[in-house]
Amino acid sequence: MRGITRALALGLTLAFVATACGAGGTTTPSPTAAASQAATKPKHDLATYQYSLQTKGKIRIGTQEDNTPFSVKTPATGKWDGFDVAIGREIAKAIFGEGEDVEKFIEWVPVVSATRIPAITDNKADIVIKTFTINAERKAQIDFSDVYFRTGQRILVKKDNTTIKEAADMAGKTICSQRGSTSEKNISTATNGAARPLLLDSYPACLLALQQGQADAVSTDETILFGLVKQDPNTKIVGKYFSQEPYGIGVKKSAGGDRTGFVDFINRTLITLITTGKWATFYEQYITPVSGDKKRTPDD
Amino acid sequence: MPGGIIFEFPELFLTGLWLTIQISVLGLIGAIVLGTLVALARVSPIVPLRWIGGAYVEFFRNTPLIVQLFFLFLGLGSLGFRFSSDTFESIFRAAATGMALYHGAYVAEVVRGGLLGVDRGQIEAARSLGLSYLQMVQYVQLPQTFRSVIPPLGNIAIALVKNTSLASTIGVAELLYAAEIVESRTFRAEEAFIAATMLFLLLTIPLGILVNALERRLLVVR
Repeated sequence: MRGITRALALGLTLAFVATACGAGGTTTPSPTAAASQAATKPKHDLATYQYSLQTKGKIRIGTQEDNTPFSVKTPATGKWDGFDVAIGREIAKAIFGEGEDVEKFIEWVPVVSATRIPAITDNKADIVIKTFTINAERKAQIDFSDVYFRTGQRILVKKDNTTIKEAADMAGKTICSQRGSTSEKNISTATNGAARPLLLDSYPACLLALQQGQADAVSTDETILFGLVKQDPNTKIVGKYFSQEPYGIGVKKSAGGDRTGFVDFINRTLITLITTGKWATFYEQYITPVSGDKKRTPDD
Repeated sequence: MPGGIIFEFPELFLTGLWLTIQISVLGLIGAIVLGTLVALARVSPIVPLRWIGGAYVEFFRNTPLIVQLFFLFLGLGSLGFRFSSDTFESIFRAAATGMALYHGAYVAEVVRGGLLGVDRGQIEAARSLGLSYLQMVQYVQLPQTFRSVIPPLGNIAIALVKNTSLASTIGVAELLYAAEIVESRTFRAEEAFIAATMLFLLLTIPLGILVNALERRLLVVR
């Protein structure tokens, strides 16, 4: 609660400062700070949002505290880690420069699924990187970067299961999923309604049903299944994606030019990450231990 | 038209309604039988029976129904017990059992109150006429008890019908579950839940009328 209040207070302060600067028409940083860091800082066009962030010396990145393997805040050290976190740090480096410890320019804003869009629209975070599926409904409210991660719905079965290999094999089987999600609809579409959906309140309950043999498989977004496999190594993820979940980075829509060039800047940064092989390194570091595969680009 | 969505997804809503009715009826029969036996145990002259009855009432009345349902489905499953080898039959039976066990505790307290409310003089008269304890219970105490406890039993029955919606948490495709599926398919939350509400009222309002009618016919004015 305290964290939220603090983040809110800081967000408001920054918003106020930003408005004040805008009204004054000047964005002059303090001369000493500019002089000492000028050598390592990347140059941004004056009108751009990345320039104003660099001037402020701070970027607020929204992500979740417990979303392994994408973002985790280690309770003991307070340090952030994960795939989304690594991408966030790279964007910060692109704004503030490689030279110093980039962490001092980042303020991590904890969000959960339901607070992702408000964090952006209420200007509490400059960007949100949190397994954030791009869709038309959300695009009406915020802007998205290009896809930096692709996932979709797959199937979790016991390790010794040989009958379920692809989505179509779920026909006639008891498939566990969470109520109120779109997973059930995807299962129904993939099997022409022939699967028997067992819909429970949570995925841990589904995992229990799978372990007990009361469900033949669990099916939802692969990223959630990653977490379940980690809990129970006697399970495995099978099949190709049978739904598409493209993740993007969320940014506030540019109102009156206050976010000019920012989405393009993020997209250029993402392309650089992919072409330099950094994206693949992150994938191998964070995703490969749970998925077992390797990718060089999001589209592999 | 409110509730029109029922006719767009008749299979889901009507299956849901039918399952709700089945669980309610089975749960209510179970609760009344179990509750009556426990109430008799609680007023019996045998002390260990009174303890067992008391423990049952306190346990099932003081834990959430949703926890009991989860235990009956996945908890017993972990211990190797299944109500059925078929998962869907298993969750259905777990739900009906859960309804009977949980509401049985309430029925037991209501019936116990009724048993204690029978005039002491009648019990003594019955015993002095040579009736055994069990005969006295059967011919004197229970008939009077059931007449007097109809209103509170009616309350429990109506609560039970509504509580069947908790069976959705263990995957029973009853009314609330149907509404949630329709919601996640159509994103028309209001319509889906209004439909479920209407179907619940379709069950509970007639049940209330039935209870009132029974009360008028059977209640003894004292």
